[in-house]
Amino acid sequence: MLQGALAGLAAGGLYAVLAVCLTLMSRLVRVVNFSQAATGMFGGFVAVWLVTETGVPIWLGSVLGVLLAGVLSGVIGWIAATWLSEADTTTRSAMTVGPLLLLISLSFILFGNKPQPFASIISGPAFTVGGVVISQVTLVTVSLAIVVAVAVRILLTRTAIGTRLRALSERPTTAELLGIPSKPLSIAVWVVTGVISAIAIVVVAPTQSNDAISLAMLIVPAAAAALLGGFKRLDLAVVGGLVLGVLSGLVAQIDEVSLIRNFLPFLFIVVLLLWTQRKEVWDAAR
Amino acid sequence: MSALIIDDVAVSRGAGPVIQGVSFTLEQGRVTALVGPNGAGKTSLLDGISGVAQISAGTIRIDGTPIEKLSRVARAKQGIVHIEQGRAVFPSLTVRENLSLTARTPAEIDAALARFPELEKRIDAPTALLSGGEQQMVVLARAFAARPRFLLIDEMSLGLAPVVFMRLLPIVSEIAEQGVGVLLVEQFTHLALGLAEEALVVASGQVSFQGPAATLREDASLLHRAYLGGAAA
Amino acid sequence: MPHADSGPARSRALRLAWPLGVAVAGVVAGYLLSVGLSGYFVFLAVSAVTAAIAILGLGIVTGSAGMIALCQLTFAAVGAWVVSLFNVLEVPGGFVVWLIAGGLAAGVVGILVGLPALRLRGVNLAVVTLGFAAAFDVTLLQIQFPGSKDGIPVLRPEGFSTDRGYFFFSIIVLAVCGLVVFWLQRGRWGSSWKAVAFSERGTASVGQSVQQAKLTAFAVSAALGGISGGLLAGQVQLPFASSFTPLQSLALYVLAVMSGAYLIDMAIFGGILWVLVPELLKRWGVPQDWGFVIFGALGVQALTSGTNLGQGIRNLWWKRADGRTAAARETAKADAAAHPAAVEPPAEASVPPVPAAPAASGEPALSVTGLTVQFGALKALDDVSLEVPAGSVMGLIGPNGAGKSTFVDAISGFLPHASGTVRLGGTALGRMSPTKRARLGLRRTFQQDRVPPALTVDAYVRFVARRRVTADEVAEVLDFFGCPPARTRLAGVDVGTRRLVEVAANVLAKPRVLLLDEPAAGLSHEEHLELGARLREVPARYGMAIVLIEHDLDLVRTVCSTLTVLDFGRVLASGPQDEVLADPAVIKAYMGETEML
Repeated sequence: MLQGALAGLAAGGLYAVLAVCLTLMSRLVRVVNFSQAATGMFGGFVAVWLVTETGVPIWLGSVLGVLLAGVLSGVIGWIAATWLSEADTTTRSAMTVGPLLLLISLSFILFGNKPQPFASIISGPAFTVGGVVISQVTLVTVSLAIVVAVAVRILLTRTAIGTRLRALSERPTTAELLGIPSKPLSIAVWVVTGVISAIAIVVVAPTQSNDAISLAMLIVPAAAAALLGGFKRLDLAVVGGLVLGVLSGLVAQIDEVSLIRNFLPFLFIVVLLLWTQRKEVWDAAR
Repeated sequence: MSALIIDDVAVSRGAGPVIQGVSFTLEQGRVTALVGPNGAGKTSLLDGISGVAQISAGTIRIDGTPIEKLSRVARAKQGIVHIEQGRAVFPSLTVRENLSLTARTPAEIDAALARFPELEKRIDAPTALLSGGEQQMVVLARAFAARPRFLLIDEMSLGLAPVVFMRLLPIVSEIAEQGVGVLLVEQFTHLALGLAEEALVVASGQVSFQGPAATLREDASLLHRAYLGGAAA
Repeated sequence: MPHADSGPARSRALRLAWPLGVAVAGVVAGYLLSVGLSGYFVFLAVSAVTAAIAILGLGIVTGSAGMIALCQLTFAAVGAWVVSLFNVLEVPGGFVVWLIAGGLAAGVVGILVGLPALRLRGVNLAVVTLGFAAAFDVTLLQIQFPGSKDGIPVLRPEGFSTDRGYFFFSIIVLAVCGLVVFWLQRGRWGSSWKAVAFSERGTASVGQSVQQAKLTAFAVSAALGGISGGLLAGQVQLPFASSFTPLQSLALYVLAVMSGAYLIDMAIFGGILWVLVPELLKRWGVPQDWGFVIFGALGVQALTSGTNLGQGIRNLWWKRADGRTAAARETAKADAAAHPAAVEPPAEASVPPVPAAPAASGEPALSVTGLTVQFGALKALDDVSLEVPAGSVMGLIGPNGAGKSTFVDAISGFLPHASGTVRLGGTALGRMSPTKRARLGLRRTFQQDRVPPALTVDAYVRFVARRRVTADEVAEVLDFFGCPPARTRLAGVDVGTRRLVEVAANVLAKPRVLLLDEPAAGLSHEEHLELGARLREVPARYGMAIVLIEHDLDLVRTVCSTLTVLDFGRVLASGPQDEVLADPAVIKAYMGETEML
């Protein structure tokens, strides 16, 4: 039981990192980025290709793949900042469905639709507590999630650039009228979240089902986790990711309910939505 | 001394121009009042000058350099600061953080705050918790710290008690005396005209009076006619 | 005009007949194709038809109602699953019954999936539907379609069992679906979809439930998805999960967006593209996955430019048509100017005195007691009490930011945290939703433009009126307020005129009380005066009380029998017009503005 729950924790850490990125994007650049996991997936696949086909060392391949993911994310961000700077969240988010479709299909063309032979960067058990093994991957992803959330929080509240980013997210027009360059800053947010997502995916991919669809669709549990924090709170996004991971680890243990496992993120989303919208809200803008 | 030259400018929203044929010069160190009935296109004109909206005709220059193609950010860097309607603070940012967006050094923050001693005890409070008057002070202090050459102020009085507004008005004069060209949009016409050297009345999307503010101060019927959109000037 | 009587009746018959005509022509063309095409193309054509029906459904939810739905093929899978199940169970009625059942089942699933996401905005629906698509996909692989293990093929309908026959059958289904969608789009549901896409507040304020509008859009869309899936089950006879993957749903969504699938012809075009692009790639020896890469790129292009193929073509066409009508209108104007007697001049000088406030004996149309609204530390409204006598026009004035719009928002139910009581003709409104208030007879207009541009003036006016109105009634009220004719598209008129149409439509709804929030902003001075003159007549002519927010004191003087002055969220003065305007406190609040104007 406990072993199963902890086995889910590695995936939970991945959900949490992606959820933090989604939350950050939603807060700072007004978008639910459906291609958040897809860019990471693509970067990861390129890393695998570099390692297996050109023989570069794993670390170098991984770095290049992660950087490529950042660039891809930046390109999508550039599109959003150039043509959709005044558009509402729905339109901006809808636009990211295009890259999601494009990146999955492109990876089918380039790498086929089979799982990729990801080489583990990190493997093996980290330590054992009371007979339960914690793997290094679990340790790394969970700490990555927490570190990213904390670091982002510090960046936003303690630094000049964080102040500017918050100003931009609250009143983008006013911020621009004060000479705060919105376009470079928001593209930077896209690049950074793209890089962070890709790192998490490259670390976890060897231990997960890692075909293009599975990896790109990590966006679903990530969005579920981010929804716990209302796409606003980083801490709840981390908690949401970890809880979701542990839950699916648990459910996988019990054969009778294994069908539910597929629906777990979906049910998580539904329950959260029903809870958050008990009261009627009138959006001033619409 | 440089000047902001507005030449035959029109601003369109959707189907057609909301305001058109506007030409005037905003000189540094002077206050120009821009008044007129609601819906006359005052805000749209300000939006056009600062780059919130694209102008659909005409040119905007600072001295000889056209700026109407520049982005908002670039125009801000040229020294145009636009205070939007309705207390444009960043609500979750503290007073200090709001000011730090434009001030380059802590000393500049202090200098901006010196005009508003009321703010000093609230310096680390999120501006959302401030009163309307205090929020407007933050906006003015923030604009001052940006060291503008031209300052566009849209309806500073909106939702403020008269006594608070009266406290803020002289600051506008002070800012102008520092060599800033101020364009003041105001619903309280007489107060605005009392402060300004130049005046512009717009009605139904067109300039209906343009000239010294004193002329309008002295002749109420002229102002009345200009408000109704007749060709008063 | 002697032909005035037969004209509208004939055009009405024509309006009903031409979609039927198009559908019949389509079916005939389909029959000819089913006979003429080679076998391979017949099979492809069925695929195009199924895709077209699915895209037709997506067009409703993404195009008309402005939501993101990413699981259209999951609904198709539901439809296919039900058809397969009924086939295995040999449910009586045959394929047509199974197909309808599949559509209904998908519609029900659509409602269940959509329900949790409806209050919040579009992105949530996207997350829910993508989650549903991903979950259902994996489950479908595990449970498989009924009968697929034993290889029981889905029985096609009697008489349509050959591939050619089945193609003809699918064309008939498409024609029926197209007709249904056409009539739904033209009707109340269609108007509510387009309204909700533009503004939720605007939708609720005319008595249309926002949730219902979204839910019907989603359910109809899902049902069409189900029918498409059922049709596919009959085509391949042994459906597999691989035909209904989330990736294909994404592609279908993108295709619907870029083709502009809320237009029926473009949905069909989208269906053709869906088959044509992979087929062409296959012939050129290019991997078929490039098809989705192309769709992805074109989808980004469409979403960033905010336009699509179908709308682009129509805009071009309308531009030319508008040019012609504008020219015609100019001529008409010139004619009218030549015969000035035909036009009633807005005679300011001869305006009769403002009707005195009706005697206070009758029950007031609207009574407000102790209305308070707090935004954080700011009291936007502070203990506001006032009464609007039945059949009167009350002016609500005060400086900008005094709380006038907040007052309208609170009364119309958009600020649920407002305290105090509001009674509409004796009924306490309590915590009623804006929709309910509107249905009880409390209507409002907005300062911002909340008139959905996707509608025609006629469709909008009928949607807002929420009662059966004749074409004459519509024409009369439009004429009364000087609005453009009923068949005009709202997208083509300026904001000021749109807001005039908003006023006219709400007047036609004959509410008890109509709150007008600066209806004249954006109009010229002359139009402004004319609107005022019209509003004076409204209570007697249409039987309602009006609360008018207005800045122009001249206008207020001529139109309003009673006045309420708000200042910093408090009532400064309230009562008969002359008393209020003479009140020194009022003059002071306006800081000399009163003497000026």
